[in-house]
Order: sequence, then structure tokens, then C-alpha cells
Amino acid sequence: MDTLREILSPNFLLRNSIYISLLVGLVCPLVGVYLTLRRLIFMGVALPQISSCGVAFAFSLQAWGIIPHLHEREHGLAFIGSTLFTLPTILVLALMARRGGGSVEGRLGTVYVLAGAWSILLLVTNPLGEHGLLDMLKGEIIAISNGDLMWTAGSFGAVVLTLFLFRKEFLLVSFDREMAITLQKNVVFWDALLFLLIGLAISMAVLSVGPLVAFGFLLIPPLTAHLFARNMRQFALLASGIGGATALVGFCLAYRWDYPVGPTDVALLGVVYFLSFAVKKFWGFCSQATGRG
Amino acid sequence: MAANSVTQELVLKLEHVAVGYSRRVILPDVNLHLRRGSFTGLLGANGSGKSTLLKTILGILPPLQGCIALVPVEGRAPVLGYMPQRDSLDPIYPLSSFEIVLMAACGRVGPGRIVNKTERDFARHCLAETGAADLSPKMFAQLSGGQKQRVLMARALATKPDFLLLDEPTAGIDAQATHAVMEVLKQIHQQHRLTVLLVSHDLATVRQYAEDVIWLHEGRLLHGAVGELLTRDKIEELLSLQLH
Repeated sequence: MDTLREILSPNFLLRNSIYISLLVGLVCPLVGVYLTLRRLIFMGVALPQISSCGVAFAFSLQAWGIIPHLHEREHGLAFIGSTLFTLPTILVLALMARRGGGSVEGRLGTVYVLAGAWSILLLVTNPLGEHGLLDMLKGEIIAISNGDLMWTAGSFGAVVLTLFLFRKEFLLVSFDREMAITLQKNVVFWDALLFLLIGLAISMAVLSVGPLVAFGFLLIPPLTAHLFARNMRQFALLASGIGGATALVGFCLAYRWDYPVGPTDVALLGVVYFLSFAVKKFWGFCSQATGRG
Repeated sequence: MAANSVTQELVLKLEHVAVGYSRRVILPDVNLHLRRGSFTGLLGANGSGKSTLLKTILGILPPLQGCIALVPVEGRAPVLGYMPQRDSLDPIYPLSSFEIVLMAACGRVGPGRIVNKTERDFARHCLAETGAADLSPKMFAQLSGGQKQRVLMARALATKPDFLLLDEPTAGIDAQATHAVMEVLKQIHQQHRLTVLLVSHDLATVRQYAEDVIWLHEGRLLHGAVGELLTRDKIEELLSLQLH
């Protein structure tokens, strides 16, 4: 409790880091809900890696002298690099998945491994990689400026607001595309907007917490919530709640025992998932036993 | 069947329409007129192009050539109520039956607008009309085949359609559930004077409930009254076999 009180204090030195963790924990699962429902979970693995590659590429442009050094605006540069790589990739992958043919997993696996390899290659050829860039890609969330926090909060806020406003359209085109067409909905537009939001959220999350943690929050809270949800509202709220609570507890544990925050969060998400799975199984067993009795 | 509800006014016209996927033509030259208020069964063997023709009429698949015209109703484009095959809907979605039916409101409630109480009440009314009121809070994925069909029919009805198109609504459900689903459909057709196009491979069901029949056979389309097309002699001729 003392740790929690200290962390939540307005004078806490790393307060921006906890706010960023909470934002990622609350927002990524809302985006992950759609990746889970559209059976695009592997996209959640590949896209953070692509986003990282975009960040590495943007910084390499600086190192190669193609663009000037932006010492105070590196976060913005990273965001542009991440977004420029993530959005076209997500749109192309979604289009290919929609058209069918070939192996979706194969394509995503190829994107993942290529993006990973290129990120490392760009890093080792970049003298800046030894300093801040590696930390950014690892998701070190120690030094977050007020400007970066506001920028992240604003972007996540826009994503959540858009997801909320157009939830019935996103749900309809995701669940029953054919019916959406018969209701005269522009399914290409709604798909593109949804993937744009997913891409934007992933870009911001990767910049804040790194690809591993971003994927963890995209995937595990929705999978956990799916065990218990009986309707879409419960699904979204549960996923976001699990993500937010795990981010807070994970930060407390990492601070208390001096562990890295990102891996602690993901490990904790895993514990929550397996406990939830066990509870669900036990619950089902008890219901069956009561029914037989 | 309320024969007097069928008018000579057309609701759908297909002229020299080629139907298929990508470059694969399944039906090369479809000419078809459907009357407003009619109940038509669309019969054919597996792979004959029934669902493909239905999806082309619905606008889900573009016609490969030719012209499809849906005749306006009171100066506006007719609303199409579509009931897909239930297996085409992914069970991973944690949706209640009520949420499924409420999707129909998307046709009337604009993007970003909240689905109001009137629409919610209407969704409940549609569930009640198809005998599925008690299924409202239950998860759609956990319902039986017959229950899912009732919910999907309620959803199609909740679009306030002028023209109801159903893709194999009785496929994979037992005789009792088939009877229940078809009786609901018959009642809806009579009460709302809806034009119905029902895709089925079940000859007995189409013979019992439809007034007209479209038979797809080896790329050809035959259209006529049930009493003319579904006689023993005609079926023998079409299928080139002897019925005993």
C-alpha cells in the first residue's frame, strides 16, 4: 500500500511513466478487442515490430544526414516513422486477408521476422542507437516529458473517442460484412478507419512501452475478458479494466522490487490470464456438477 | 397464402445478368422479374449458384454483366432484409441475441448517433414476432440452429424491409425447427405483405410455403408457379430420373 501511495503521489518522480503505463493498459485492449474478434491476433505481433522498424528507420535518416537532427523533437520523429510504416502495412495486410488466398500466418510471420531483422540492422548502423533509440525500442518508460505525455494522451483519447462513437458501424462491418453492404454501408471506408485507429494506437503504444509490452496489452486482456464476457459492452470494459489494473499493479511491483516495468506487466498479464482460465474451468465444472445433481 | 396481397407491380428486374465469382461464370444469362408481395423459392442443387445469385441481387457480389434493377418503393430505394446462412457468422463474437437484432438499426441510425429507445423496443418487438423474445439476453453463439434462425429472422425483420431475402434458413436444423421457422416466415409474409425470396435445397419446404419457384439447373433458370414447376413430371424431366 505504501508503494501504491508513493506512486500515486503528485510529487512522484516517475509520475508521467505511470500515467503512460495506465494509458497503454487501458487503451491497447480496446484496440485488441477488434484484432481478437477479426482473428487478426498475429497482426498484433507483426505491427508493433513494424512500428519499431519505422522508428529505427526515422532515426537512421537522421544518422545518415538525410534529415537534420531534432534533439527536442525526437518523440515526434519517432511517431512519424512508426506511423508511416504501420499504417500502410496494416492496410495492405488487411486487404490481403480480406481477399483470401495464401497463408495469412505466413505473411504475418514474414513481416514480423523481416521487421525485426531490419530494426536490428538499422540500430547497429546508427550511432544514436547506443543512446536513446535502444531504450525507446525496449520500451523504457523512465523519462517521459510532459509534452510526450500530453501527445500520447491526446492520440489515445482520439482513438477511444472514435472507437466509441462509431462502435456500431465497426461492429457491423466486422461481424457481418454482407449485411453491412445490404444496409448501404461503405464497408471499405469503415474497415480503413478501423485499421487506421489500430495502427495509430499501436504506433503510440510502441513509442511508449516498446513492441513486447504493446503486443502483451493488445492480446492478453481481450483474451482474458473473452472468457467471461456475455456481450460486447462487457467485453470491451472488462478488457480495458484488466489492462488498466494490470498496468498499475505491474508498475507497483516493478518499482517495489526494481524490475523492468514492461516485462513485469506482461508476466503479470500472463498470471491473470491463467488464473482466469482456471476460474472459468472450475466454474464450468461446478455448473455441470450442480446440473447433474 | 394471401394471394390477393401479390400485385403485378415488379420489385426486382434482372436482364441478361451474368452471375459468378471473379471470372468464373456460374449463371451466364439470368432474366428474372419478381412481383411485389410474392413468396418465391430459389431451388437448385449444391453449387448451382443459388447463394451466388442471391448475393448478386443483394449487391454483395457485383454482376459480371447485365443490369439489376430494384424498383423504388414510394420514391425511395427498397430496403433489403437479409438473412445469411447462420454458419457464416463467426461464433467468437460475444454478442447477445438482442445485440444481433439491434444491428439492423444501423440502416436507419446514422454513424455516431445513439440507438434510441424506440429502436431498442422495435428490436424486442421483432424478437417477439419470431418467437425469440426469451432468447434476447442469451449469447447468440450458444443458441441451437433453430433458435439462431429465429434471431436472424428477427434481425432481417428489424431492418423494416420491403424485400426479404433468406439464404438456406432451414439448412441443418431438424424437422420440428424447420416447421417452426417456416411458419414464422409465412406469418411475417402474410402480415407485412413482404416480398420474400427464399434460397433452399429443400424441395418439400418450397413446395409447401412458396407461391413461385426459381429452379437453377445446369446454368439455366426456370421460373414459374409452384403448381407448374414442381409437378412430378416436371421434376423428373429436370432431374432426368424416375421418381417412385
